[in-house]
Amino acid sequence: MHPAVNAIISVLLGIFTLVCIFPFIYVVIISFTSEESIVRNGFELIPKEWSIDAYSYLWSMKEQLFQSYGVTLIITIVGTVISVLMISFYSYAISRPQFKYRRFFTFLAFFTMLFSGGLVPTYIVVTQFLELKNTIWALILPLAMNAFYIIIMRTFFLKSVSESILESARIDGASEWRIFFQIVFPLSLPGLATIALFSTLGYWNDWFTALLYIDEPSLVPLQSLLMKIEANLEFMRQNVDVSLMQQSLFDTIPQESAKMAMVVIATLPIAVSYPFFQKYFISGLTIGGVKE
Amino acid sequence: MMKKKLGIILASVLAAGTLLSACSSKDSSTSEKGGKNGEPYEIKWYTIGTPQKDTEKVFAEVNKYTKEKINATVKMTQIDWGDWAQKSQVMINSGEPFDIIFTNGTDYVQNAQKGAFLAIDDLLENEGKALKEVINPDFLEGNKVDGKLYGIPANKEVARQDVYTFNKRLVDKYNFDLSKVKTLQDLEPMLKTIKENESGVTPIATFKAPLRFDYVFNNEMPFAFPFEGDTDTVINPFDTDAAMTQFETMHKYYKAGYLKEDAATSKDSWPMDVENWFVRIGGSQPYADLLWSRSAKYEVVSVPVEQPTIVNDSVSGSIQAISATSKNPEKAMEFLTLLNTDPYLRNLVDKGIEDVHYKKNEDGTIEDLPARIESYNMPSYSLGNHFILNLYKEDPKDKWEKFKEFNASAVKAPSLGFKFNSDPVRSELASITNISKEFYPALATGSVDPEEYLPKFNEKLKEAGVEKVLKEIQKQHDEWKSSKE
Amino acid sequence: MKRILGDLYKNRIWLLMVLPGTIWLLLFSYLPMFGQVLAFKKFRIHPDGFFASVMNSDWVGWDNFKYLFSTNDAFVITRNTILYNLVFIVLGLVAAVVTAILLSELVNKKLSKFYQTGMLFPHFISWVIGSYFVFTFLSTEFGLVNNVLGWFGKEPISWYSESKYWPFILIFMSLWKGIGYGSIVYLASIVGIDKTYYEAAMIDGASKWKQIKHVTLPMLKPLMIILTIMNIGRIFNSDFGLFYQVPRDSGALYSVTNVIDTYVYRGLMNLGDIGMSTAAGLYQSAVGFALVMITNYIVRKVDEESALF
Repeated sequence: MHPAVNAIISVLLGIFTLVCIFPFIYVVIISFTSEESIVRNGFELIPKEWSIDAYSYLWSMKEQLFQSYGVTLIITIVGTVISVLMISFYSYAISRPQFKYRRFFTFLAFFTMLFSGGLVPTYIVVTQFLELKNTIWALILPLAMNAFYIIIMRTFFLKSVSESILESARIDGASEWRIFFQIVFPLSLPGLATIALFSTLGYWNDWFTALLYIDEPSLVPLQSLLMKIEANLEFMRQNVDVSLMQQSLFDTIPQESAKMAMVVIATLPIAVSYPFFQKYFISGLTIGGVKE
Repeated sequence: MMKKKLGIILASVLAAGTLLSACSSKDSSTSEKGGKNGEPYEIKWYTIGTPQKDTEKVFAEVNKYTKEKINATVKMTQIDWGDWAQKSQVMINSGEPFDIIFTNGTDYVQNAQKGAFLAIDDLLENEGKALKEVINPDFLEGNKVDGKLYGIPANKEVARQDVYTFNKRLVDKYNFDLSKVKTLQDLEPMLKTIKENESGVTPIATFKAPLRFDYVFNNEMPFAFPFEGDTDTVINPFDTDAAMTQFETMHKYYKAGYLKEDAATSKDSWPMDVENWFVRIGGSQPYADLLWSRSAKYEVVSVPVEQPTIVNDSVSGSIQAISATSKNPEKAMEFLTLLNTDPYLRNLVDKGIEDVHYKKNEDGTIEDLPARIESYNMPSYSLGNHFILNLYKEDPKDKWEKFKEFNASAVKAPSLGFKFNSDPVRSELASITNISKEFYPALATGSVDPEEYLPKFNEKLKEAGVEKVLKEIQKQHDEWKSSKE
Repeated sequence: MKRILGDLYKNRIWLLMVLPGTIWLLLFSYLPMFGQVLAFKKFRIHPDGFFASVMNSDWVGWDNFKYLFSTNDAFVITRNTILYNLVFIVLGLVAAVVTAILLSELVNKKLSKFYQTGMLFPHFISWVIGSYFVFTFLSTEFGLVNNVLGWFGKEPISWYSESKYWPFILIFMSLWKGIGYGSIVYLASIVGIDKTYYEAAMIDGASKWKQIKHVTLPMLKPLMIILTIMNIGRIFNSDFGLFYQVPRDSGALYSVTNVIDTYVYRGLMNLGDIGMSTAAGLYQSAVGFALVMITNYIVRKVDEESALF
């Protein structure tokens, strides 16, 4: 590419990247603003009064935080492995022309993207039928599949795994499972990495399943902890009378700056994990090239 | 062959699911039906508030006591403030089996109408006899839905009284005469002085112009009974001269800069401990000023906007209801009775264990120990009868007497006990709520000119069928009235 | 019968592959779907649990749907929902593809990686916090934008009561949040393109632009079509936080910010009616479903390979 064009593109993308990162920097700033300053002056890019109270507050609840980090890590890792396996099996099968019922199963998955069961019936399946309430599986299983990812993955398989490569392996007598793990998997690494990334982000950001299925503080994931703070602040705003009468109760509920500090510690680890997935965007290519 | 394989796999997946859950969910079906003679019955109780670390410890004590008294144990689960609305509703709609649940306001009425709660009138005559005697009858009367009671209200202040609360330092500094303050309009000279002389202080801590009516839903929705005059006819309160007057005053204040510019969409909670306001409005109770001054760490002083009034909203602020899915409602009632009449149990549930969470002074008052704030900080208002709670060292000695006086001095709102069933006009209400949300906050904070927007508001309400809803409310109200006589 | 069994046996390996996913779909998606009948019922709770509640609730026909159509607002919310979604679909697609291509063409790969990571940040910022951020810029009193306008001697604008600016603000915010995430899938796809295609193009003397036009875009086409079809299926749904939190629920802006989801949320606040909320969901799904079927039919006529099914 022409160096000038390259430079222009670099600058344009750079500006947009800045616009994207900027709010996060802003979140960091608010987390270092004193609560009193927030009440008086609102959120500011350069606060009048700095403070590390928010972080010392977080430090005071470190046991819960570490516990929640642990829960989030477990559900993210276990969940991602389960979903990538389930989704790639499913979408590989429906991408193969030999599979007679591929259209039916494509539709079966696609249909759930538009028509969902609704909150209460799903709640009943999870709590009363599967009896998963207050277990770690309640945080993993409900998010394990996703029709959207299945359809994306199917497109990847259709495009990057051509039948001609597989035919030769089949003639050599390799079983479909062997073909899947030894040829298809490496060939589709960029696609798999994408699904794994989406799934990781999905698990990491999820708070709603915990809201529904978890009462035990020891099983509350990180994002859910954050959303609880957010929701509690909202409750206090809407029930000013209650919160003014029961002041001592709400003194212990963290305020805006603590919430922002939570955002910082909940976001940074996952955001910087992105390059890990990027790696596979490249390596997929080389393996694909070798096989040709 | 294939089918068999599929069946086996399906079965094993399901089995794995149950196995996994069996490790953690301990509730066995053996204790489902306990009685005086058999195993103690485990009462499942859901209530609002941040889950506390020492709940298990305290409830071990609670259970020792309740096992002996009523042969039952209690499993209390708290659901955090912000999660409450959504989570409790999903649990209720799903028909999950439990015994007692906290509820309040319109949630209480809707769920009672939907059949989520058990009508407890009979239980109250038997298992709850002692409870019925201690509780203010206005609570029981005011919470009836279609003639039946569906929960035990917490016995506390029965009425609502809005007050203007002022920052006393500023009142003293400028020698304001608060005895003259009766209406929103009376605030004007003070606001002006503050605006001109006190930078860094917003004269009005964002509030909505008070418009005194007996509202059917809440003060945003255009359905209310007047407190004066024809108190039996429901009207649209925004289609009155009073509304125009209040909103105009507010608009004047807004233009003069007495409110923040973003008042209509503001999310500021105006915490007391930041001294950046002059006047605010809020619900009061006896000794509220003392409480507020203490948390603010400077003095505040209040002037009532109205006489204490018993409205549907004030009697339903905190209710413990028995679920329709309860396996043993009698036990649940026995527990609620004990909780509301037995000072030991009530204080144990509320304050924790003596000498662990609080200590008792010689004069009978109590003081919190650090452990209570850290690990057992419970919301008193949601749990039950206030009048048997121990007083804190810094509480006025006659606190509960003052509460009783307050209750006795209260007037009853005309529609107290009338609960509207919205089924016939649900579509109209859905669009009316949207219209109210569109106009009310802007008008009530004075952000827009009522001359222009109030007629627009009423016009849109009319299009959305406000008349039809008013007619339906009137019809149900008349039926309710005649059934009472 | 025998033929069906034979077919099943022949496909056993594929059936086994879709089995875990199918069980999941049945359990977590299809089993709960019976709850959709609530859209036609007046929900009443029965002590024997949810199933009994559903069975014992009265049928009310189309009553639960009425509020979605009955007033003037019904037109406004439907118009807003469709128009915003059309813009989001078109601009979202163009922006994601363009960004992905540019990122993949950058000479400095380290920089490209940094940009990619940076663009993903908005995905982690909830709309509640996003709305604080927008407020810092647009607040009438302290807002940065009004400050800047002040420098130029311009009158401050009361952003939260002027509806004419909001379509642009909302579209910008939507792109801001979505581009990073949306471009990932295209980036991965570009990386997967066989390099030999480009080599062949270069031998033919094709310029960079020609290579993109004749190799990259055609290779991305199936993905673009599939994702667009899927977005069309959600054309009656919207990102609730974007339309509720970001404009701070300001009544003056409803004419351009009220969409079906926010209307339903506000409308049911005082009713808590599960029948009516189910009805709204079913309505959105049904319209989406019909549109997807039509789009898919058309795509299949034009290019069978790219169709969803």
